[in-house]
Amino acid sequence: MKDTILNSLARLEETGLSLLLRESGVAFFTSLTLHSLAMAFVVGINLLLAARLLGLLSQIELHKFRPYLTLHWWFAGLIFFSGAALLLAYPAKALTNPVFYLKLVALSAGLLLLLKLQSSIKDPNLSIRPDRQKLFGATMIACWVTTIFAGRFLAYTNSILLASSFY
Amino acid sequence: MEQALLSFSQSTGIFDFMHSPWGWPVIESLHFLGLSLLIGSVGLFDLRLLGLGTGISYNFLHKIIPFGIAGYFLNVITGTMFLSSAPDQYLYNPAFQMKLCFMVIAGINMLLFYRYSFSAIRELNSETTLPARTKTFAGISLCCWCLVIVCGRLITYYRPPYHWCFWC
Repeated sequence: MKDTILNSLARLEETGLSLLLRESGVAFFTSLTLHSLAMAFVVGINLLLAARLLGLLSQIELHKFRPYLTLHWWFAGLIFFSGAALLLAYPAKALTNPVFYLKLVALSAGLLLLLKLQSSIKDPNLSIRPDRQKLFGATMIACWVTTIFAGRFLAYTNSILLASSFY
Repeated sequence: MEQALLSFSQSTGIFDFMHSPWGWPVIESLHFLGLSLLIGSVGLFDLRLLGLGTGISYNFLHKIIPFGIAGYFLNVITGTMFLSSAPDQYLYNPAFQMKLCFMVIAGINMLLFYRYSFSAIRELNSETTLPARTKTFAGISLCCWCLVIVCGRLITYYRPPYHWCFWC
């Protein structure tokens, strides 16, 4: 089983696109930088919204953040594409590391929470109950802090860098 | 300089912490959190000044700036921990030098914004179009902070051999 997975990852690493992303300094660096920039905006916007739910910034009505949510989803798309490029460059490094899955789960949960919040902003009937707002905000913060920590720890906890090195 | 930073790091225990198995990634994560707070608040305020998010009054949105200041100080503390723990990796690294330059430009730009523009926009309602000068301050600020991120990535991506720095 392990051999089959490693073999598949090794074949993925030998595709032209993976080689280009890994060996062209510009392509890898660009993906990495865009990933960081987009993450900073997405996490920043989410932390502000979470702070608002926790009772800070109560002077700003939540629905006024809507134009920034459109921008947020553009940056979330950028996270997806730049993340896919980084994953394709070193698939075994991420896919054989449990920390990668932790990042993926925390990131997805963070985005789903924002979707829920966004629907609440649009439709007052769906709004989050006031007694739940603080818990909701704290959960959002927990998701994004986990995403950042898992993302950074990914670089330090991989046991395999390239599956092709085994063949 | 290099020696002074190392001595500071060793005498305060920062060096030992940073060279422990999880010291570096923990501080890197906190550095990124600080950066996200900074971009999430200062970046959004800049975007508002550039015209995105009409409907939010400038004065109201300015209330998020303390989050950016908190993020900035978190970054100064964590950045000092990196610098003092491996000064040779930073002091001679042009990416680090460029990062500091952009931070200084952003700082001067912020001072000029508060000196020449802020008092006027405080009184404006959310629909008023801002003068070009204010938008220029916002554009410079946004560009500088994005370039700070780019240079920050360059520092870690290219661990510098000394020949990297062509004027050292």
